[in-house]
Amino acid sequence: AFVPLTPRILSLKPDFSTSTLNLKWSDNGSAFPYGLDAIWQIQILRKEAMEKVTQVNYYSKLTHEDIVLSWNWASDMPLECTSHYVKIRCYVNVTQFVGPMNWSDWSPVEKVAGKDTDANESGVFPQDTVVAVGSDVTICCVHKEGQWIKQMMYGPEIYPMIHLSSRSSAIRVLNASASDTSGTNVVCMLSEDGMEGTVLFVGYAPDTPQNLSCETSNFLIIKCTWKPGRPSGLYGKRGTKYSLFERISGKNVSCEVNEMNRERVCGFPVLADQKTYDFVLGVSNPIGQTESSILIDLTQRVHPKTPEKLTVYGNSSTSVRLRWFINSSFADIRLLCQIETSSGHSEQKLHNVSMPGGKFSTYTAQLNTLHPYTKYHFRVRCSAADHFWKWSDWSRIEEHTTLEA
Amino acid sequence: MAAAGSPSATLRRRDLRSRGIRLAGKMRSDVIDLLDAYMEQQGLDASVSVAAVEGVPAAAAEHWDEQTGTQRLLENLAAYRTFRALLAQMLEEQREQLGEADAALGRALAAVLLQVSAFIYHLEELLRLESRSPPSEEGTGPPLAPHLSLFERKLRGLGVLRELAQWAVRSVRDLRQLAKASPGSSSAPSPAESP
Repeated sequence: AFVPLTPRILSLKPDFSTSTLNLKWSDNGSAFPYGLDAIWQIQILRKEAMEKVTQVNYYSKLTHEDIVLSWNWASDMPLECTSHYVKIRCYVNVTQFVGPMNWSDWSPVEKVAGKDTDANESGVFPQDTVVAVGSDVTICCVHKEGQWIKQMMYGPEIYPMIHLSSRSSAIRVLNASASDTSGTNVVCMLSEDGMEGTVLFVGYAPDTPQNLSCETSNFLIIKCTWKPGRPSGLYGKRGTKYSLFERISGKNVSCEVNEMNRERVCGFPVLADQKTYDFVLGVSNPIGQTESSILIDLTQRVHPKTPEKLTVYGNSSTSVRLRWFINSSFADIRLLCQIETSSGHSEQKLHNVSMPGGKFSTYTAQLNTLHPYTKYHFRVRCSAADHFWKWSDWSRIEEHTTLEA
Repeated sequence: MAAAGSPSATLRRRDLRSRGIRLAGKMRSDVIDLLDAYMEQQGLDASVSVAAVEGVPAAAAEHWDEQTGTQRLLENLAAYRTFRALLAQMLEEQREQLGEADAALGRALAAVLLQVSAFIYHLEELLRLESRSPPSEEGTGPPLAPHLSLFERKLRGLGVLRELAQWAVRSVRDLRQLAKASPGSSSAPSPAESP
């Protein structure tokens, strides 16, 4: 029978932060003609009793050269909890060979030691990690020699324990629900009043921002606002981070956001000689990321500041002049302003006036056809004349009485 | 500054002591409230026992009744300076871990920190009235907290607040003890009344 050489594991490396094992081995392809199919059977074992956890087939094609093959395996349990072992064997479909063909022998076992094999180590793992709501999580307690675990609690609940080794036991939390702001404590009560613990943060990936809208009130800063959608349940340094990337200029701004506000705001500087802005609002937290985008022509997204210092003057019985100030730069657009007049015995009237925008300017307008010797209330608001977006807020009301006829 | 034994110094001393006693009493009740809020917010059970936390001054004092008035003031001052640094550390961690999520607890923590600072002022003034300048603060901050896991930090915070509550009780007794001993010299050992 044809039996391939026993495969040789080159390395087995743990990534504790992701509980992932990376296996590398040589396919010994130089010993075979070109193009043969090979099957690699990889077995993962765990715990003191080296119980089989999983067995996977990996397929490759031999190329008459020795190729290093690589394979990753994500454990459902923190690698710190107990030792993990890997062994591998192979089967080569030698088409030219007429007789029976068999699997190779298993390779020697490669081991990644758990913390339960290090006398100085103890603790609850994973340490201070973040998982998505609905996840199934395995949390273990590694204790010192001679100690034993009285109970393991997840939040207020005592959980049944799974024995891993003489110094390690685990609990399995299924379909984890969102944790409180300070996370869910996992407490391991030990003999002799010992106690170990960790904090698990269970939250949601960020929701795609809704109602993303950008405007400017002064042609200095573009203010983007959005609704965050479902709260992630994660706060502080695990909270959701926002950044605003502008594709045309390539400029990126990170946003300072207060998690407790319903609406989110981020400012982006108006760039010289750029009218169109292609924004991507990037959103991320430890569980996931998403984005929203918006393309705007800034001149069509002008939401002027409230007109200030409104004054009304005139020495006529039927006309007045109004003057107001807007603390912004509108040099590149025309403004449309609306003056509202009201007096005791007549209903409110609106008068539209348009004028070229100025740089931190004072604006004036004249109103005629007023009634003599009448007390009027005036107020004004403005917007962009050519592409209306939003009115500013109304100015304060100013009172003025026209002269007698 | 008035001579240690002058009538105005005596009046000032009595005023500082009585205000100090009231402040320590208020501090204790606020710390107890803060403790409850802290435990609830951190998901800790009231039955959690916390071993002595490194760097936190213990309120229990051996030979408490044999201490002189100046020793009491110096021990109180050293302890509350340490608590001021520990509480500031906790406040910083609170902001880092929770951001704006639980501002109420942050405000309560900041309020107690303010009281501790005020009490430190009282103690320093009382020492000056004993013609003793308060020891300088350089290099007396609490030991840098070793890298702790979040759960260990939660327990450490619990230990700090529990011990601070004990210290507030002790400070009331210390200041009362000072009041009793004041007709005589301040260095005379105080009659037995252990905390």
